[in-house]
Amino acid sequence: MTIATVPLSLTVNGRPVGPIDVPADLMMLDFLSEYLDLTGTRMGCGQGICHACTVILDDADGAREIRTCITGAHFFAGKAIRTVEGHAERDADGNVVRLSAVQQAFVEHFAFQCGYCTPGFVTGATLLVERLRRAPVTRADLERVIGEALAPHICRCTGYVRYYEAVRHVILTTPGLVEG
Amino acid sequence: MARSRAIRILSRLALAGVVLAGGAVAVVLGAFEHSVVGAAVDAPLTPEEIAALAPRGRYLAAAADCAACHTAPGGAPWAGGLAFQMPFGTLYATNISPDPETGIGGWTRAEFHRAVRDGVGKGGRHLYPAMPYVSYRQLTEADVDALYAFLMTRPPMPVANRTDSFPFPYVRPAMAFWNLLNLPSKTFADDPAASPQVNRGRYLVDALGHCGECHTPRDLTMATIPGRYLEGNVIEGVEAPDITAAGLAALGFTTDGLARFMRAGLGPQGVMSFAMYEVVHHSTQHLTDTDADAMAAYLAGTAPPAAGNGTTVAAAAAAPSQPAAGTAMPGRQTYVELCAACHGVDGEGIPHVAPAMRGNAALRLPTARNLLVATLRGLPDHPFPHGEHMQAMPGFADLLGDAEMAELASYLRQTWGGRNADVGADLVAEIRRGE
Repeated sequence: MTIATVPLSLTVNGRPVGPIDVPADLMMLDFLSEYLDLTGTRMGCGQGICHACTVILDDADGAREIRTCITGAHFFAGKAIRTVEGHAERDADGNVVRLSAVQQAFVEHFAFQCGYCTPGFVTGATLLVERLRRAPVTRADLERVIGEALAPHICRCTGYVRYYEAVRHVILTTPGLVEG
Repeated sequence: MARSRAIRILSRLALAGVVLAGGAVAVVLGAFEHSVVGAAVDAPLTPEEIAALAPRGRYLAAAADCAACHTAPGGAPWAGGLAFQMPFGTLYATNISPDPETGIGGWTRAEFHRAVRDGVGKGGRHLYPAMPYVSYRQLTEADVDALYAFLMTRPPMPVANRTDSFPFPYVRPAMAFWNLLNLPSKTFADDPAASPQVNRGRYLVDALGHCGECHTPRDLTMATIPGRYLEGNVIEGVEAPDITAAGLAALGFTTDGLARFMRAGLGPQGVMSFAMYEVVHHSTQHLTDTDADAMAAYLAGTAPPAAGNGTTVAAAAAAPSQPAAGTAMPGRQTYVELCAACHGVDGEGIPHVAPAMRGNAALRLPTARNLLVATLRGLPDHPFPHGEHMQAMPGFADLLGDAEMAELASYLRQTWGGRNADVGADLVAEIRRGE
């Protein structure tokens, strides 16, 4: 039996990818892992509940979080995404030279233990920081807004408090994210 | 001449006005109201009778789904508080716990009967028909006694009733006119031509379950239309389906299947959603097998008619229509990209996670409304009886445009619902706007 494939082109972490022949019903998570060797995006529940598999979708409606375990690869045809591999600054050879503020804060706050859920938390927290850059939050609303942004992400090591504190630290120490 | 003629006409008009006004006063004062409550209930129940009736009352309160309105989500049991958004303002369900100040602790047996069956509360105050007294009117005296006994033995909850936000104080007395038009004078009577099971089923459907309150279409005065009994209605933005025997057959329900579906809340026909999810939770899951079977026997009949789309139910269930080999409908690719991970590439679903699309009644409904509401806005996490579960479904309003959503809905309905691929982008836009 041959598997029907369809050519797929998209932008991943700022670079054009494809056209690559990809099975019509392949999930994006498998495409990232098996075709692009981007293994940082994690398969957790496979049912869209745990959010370990989220990446950032940058499209005309703005940046948003999207679950790759339940979204087909071909949904991303012609679209641009950022995976966890795309957040740190890299040199010309592709080596990481500086983590993003969110990633650095997660390290410094010992936010994760096993690290399996971390790529999803990096995605969710990064989108929150970017959103606050466009629309700052009042200090009184800050805790609630962080809670809402991280709530969909499940961490079975229960590192929630340290993730939360790391994100609050980033927001409070980055100018322009909090009003007043 | 002309002047005296004018005076004569005016005096006649005035007389007619006085007669009308007098008639109106008489209606409001209840001169034409017909109570179905007999004098036998004037005698109070003894404490022994109340204790003996209460357990049966608990079952009847579940079958009548009293808690759906009289226990607000997260609120004290039987203390009311559920809000009803009406065209005139907001109405709140009342406290029916036996608290003497805020609940019905001071109500006599007869007053309770009058409220439940006549729609007239203690002190002659008219209830709004959001309380389904038009249906409860058919309850037997014994069952209303049992309900009274059950409620009077609950812990009293001192929770004050919220006043409605209607702008006119005279809406409530005006219910007397509405009752004059809409409140049947007859009570429940067994149909001698029907079996005891079917009669019991009709009592459960019409009197206790008050199914017609949502499933029967209403006219401009908000009265249910008798000629269109249980033929379905759009309520709270979703379709309450046609649950006549023909309607149920078209949705893929057999009599046994319907009884199982009402008690379990899910089955091969999909998942009870929207308001019916709450009905399963509070009411139908608690029905005895005998009563669930009786309701199903009355609703679906014991010999299911042919399905509405021209095929029999059995044939439709055995051979869901498939797209012809080699042709890909528009919508198929969207299904594969956004739906198939949970609902299956071939519509098979994942047990305890996401329902199968094959055989799903939501795809067989006359319109795509419910399918689109679910697909655009998503559905909450749904626990069901006996540890069964369906996970939350995300909404796709922000990922799909109206045309793509319409194509997806058409694909689903044609592939697994036996319906034409005719969902229009205008319907998607309408539901997206919340209409």
